[in-house]
Amino acid sequence: MSQERRIPWVVKYRPSRVADVVNQEEAKKAFLNWLDSWLRGKPERKAALLYGPPGSGKTSLVEAAAREYGLELLEMNASDYRRASDIERVALVSSRGASLVRARGKIILLDEVDGISATADLGALDAIVNLINKTSYPVVLVANDPWDPKLRELREVCLLIEFKRLTKTEIKKVLQNICRNEKLDCEDEALNFIAERAEGDLRSAINDIEALGEGFGRVTYALARTVLGYRNRELNSFEVVRRILTAKYSWQARIAASQTDLAPDELIQWINENVPRQAVDPEDLWRAFESLSRADIYMARVVKSGNWDLLAYASDMMTAGVALAITNPQYKFKWVKYGFPEKIRMLSKTREVRQVRDDLAKVIAQHLKCSTSVAKSEVIPLLRVIFDNNPEYAARLALGLGLSDSMIKYLSERNGDRVVKLVEDLRAQLREALLGGLESPARKEVEKVKPATKKAERRRAKSSEGLKGFLKK
Amino acid sequence: MSTRSVLAELLWAEKYRPRSLREMVNQEEIVKRLQVFVKEKNMPHLLFAGPPGTGKTTAAHALAHDLYGEDYRLYMLELNASDERGIDVIRTKVKEFARSKLPANVPFKIILLDEADNMTPDAQQALRRLMEMYVDVTRFILIANYPSKIIEPIQSRCAVFRFTQLKKEDVISRLKWICNNEKVVCDDRGLEAVYEVSEGDMRKAINILQAAAALGEVNVSNVYRVVGLATPAEVRALLKSALFEGDFLKARDNLRKLMVSYGLSGVDIIKQLHREIFSSEINMPEEMRVEIADYLGEIQFRLVEGADDEIQLSALLAKLVLLGKPLRQQVQAKPTKVK
Repeated sequence: MSQERRIPWVVKYRPSRVADVVNQEEAKKAFLNWLDSWLRGKPERKAALLYGPPGSGKTSLVEAAAREYGLELLEMNASDYRRASDIERVALVSSRGASLVRARGKIILLDEVDGISATADLGALDAIVNLINKTSYPVVLVANDPWDPKLRELREVCLLIEFKRLTKTEIKKVLQNICRNEKLDCEDEALNFIAERAEGDLRSAINDIEALGEGFGRVTYALARTVLGYRNRELNSFEVVRRILTAKYSWQARIAASQTDLAPDELIQWINENVPRQAVDPEDLWRAFESLSRADIYMARVVKSGNWDLLAYASDMMTAGVALAITNPQYKFKWVKYGFPEKIRMLSKTREVRQVRDDLAKVIAQHLKCSTSVAKSEVIPLLRVIFDNNPEYAARLALGLGLSDSMIKYLSERNGDRVVKLVEDLRAQLREALLGGLESPARKEVEKVKPATKKAERRRAKSSEGLKGFLKK
Repeated sequence: MSTRSVLAELLWAEKYRPRSLREMVNQEEIVKRLQVFVKEKNMPHLLFAGPPGTGKTTAAHALAHDLYGEDYRLYMLELNASDERGIDVIRTKVKEFARSKLPANVPFKIILLDEADNMTPDAQQALRRLMEMYVDVTRFILIANYPSKIIEPIQSRCAVFRFTQLKKEDVISRLKWICNNEKVVCDDRGLEAVYEVSEGDMRKAINILQAAAALGEVNVSNVYRVVGLATPAEVRALLKSALFEGDFLKARDNLRKLMVSYGLSGVDIIKQLHREIFSSEINMPEEMRVEIADYLGEIQFRLVEGADDEIQLSALLAKLVLLGKPLRQQVQAKPTKVK
């Protein structure tokens, strides 16, 4: 073997110019525009987050661009992220001397940012945000799955650039090129097999062909089948959903589900969110949701009966069942934008409102001796009517039930503030009336002690037992 | 105190709840038998069954009140089984109270389990044991809309009282009495409307009465205004966007609004939809109303089985989008605009 051949092929065949990066035209354009805006000195976003499946060319593009623009590449990856102080060191370099005339520019590349552990690498994410705020050089972040909740803050400060999964044809073309260059005898069928198996990951396809070429000097289908084991790849959530919804055969959908670390109850929410985007045809939509509904019922039975065997059927219905329900060829394989499950998002966004609502329901349930669900479905809507239409009366009710300000505001967006004010007035009147009977020295004494008399306080406390319990928490 | 009662107001359903059995104007037969228990200071375990708003919870509290006096809550543990339905509650709270020592001045303690038909079967099994073990010091009152959901062995340990739907004239005379007390103007047709929309449920009727009174006076238009306002507009919007516009995503947005900001459960939404589909303001073929009702029933059944609200209701929306397809095509075919 010659010296030259010891370089791994993934390095050897790495694109040296931006134009050589396979496909990803949109991403290239977006990235170069952003880089140009930096060089002109006025970037809208100081950092870019390149995301997409492994081996789709994210890092290669950054390297090629750095080379073409003559910029020095300052690189960090997951193993460097252990401590915030490491990142701060880079930050220091990056914040200095940007405008040193004609000094060589830099690109800061933070690879594999989704590999940062939110718990173990304490402070690392904050340090990155900090770096982005201070930097005088373009910062590029790279991730496979940018939707990871821990990356939320980073997402907000970065320009997001998506890399598409490469197609089989594109990968095959690169492989053919390598075969020619290496003067390898390659069977077409073998290349098809490798390209198919790569699932859009060019890096792994090149590694595969290298393994065969270096080891055997030729690339045949039989060798490929036997030598290359099955690569089990973890996919990001969007990718999993896409594969499930666009699967033609049941096995494709089922395999996709096995390549995620989403728990079944999360996966079903991801599918639930995105089914209507792919299943546009009403017939398809209905069948798909009927399947999903069946899956959901099996999951409920798992919980109810404790029989985990049933999970297998839930999984079949939510993957293969849904996949085969979507048949209209007009929409089946169409590329549509998917979304993050709104349900999961809303649960965290609306936590406060729900807390107020639930506490209010408890107060009402206690007064009316009913369940909180009756309070929510029967009583709260009527209270809303009263609070929206008769603030004076609403204030008296709020006082009588011992409602908190946030509960009052929950009951009426229109009149909330007004009712809160009226309740304060009522309290003042109440205080006045209770103190009215007292001699003035005694009265002063009482006023000093408490804004309200103890008696009134006690009554109020009694009428808001539910609330008190909540406050204690 | 009097100033406070002038300034502060309560929900009328609480304010006018009978405190003692003597004040109860309905369910005469049942009240008579309960008064015998009070007189003899003894009673078996009781199961009160019947539709909502017929006086079951009120009777239980009144009974305890008459047995123990004003501070009756010292001797009674109340739990609402829809809020605390699991076996853990039975094993901890209920068991502890049931076995606790009997105060010298009372013949027994009472454990009141409201909406007991919402208890899980395991919890009911655990309960059955407790009812046997501590019967000398503790009596249970179970309240249920559907007594058949209470397991057989518990039913057989209880004296069952069936509360019947209140008579229209009884409800109306009670409402009128409240209006007089509150010095609220009301007319007979308004009160009848309250009865109609509350379906014989006294608590519901009083709540609606109070909301209508807050709008000024209790007349037909205010009663329907209250009901209209209390029904979130999103329910109808959801129906319309799925059925007539075929816009699943828009319908689902409304669905989420109902669940998150109004806090409605899937079953609540299904019930409201059920009312909507038979409304004359929604224009659709008659047989479609029935078809939708059938499917609503199916979805509600799945929810009761423990399925996920959003997924099941999304399935419902998908069905509506499909059912509405011919309607939408008709609209497109006709040049004139049809709502």
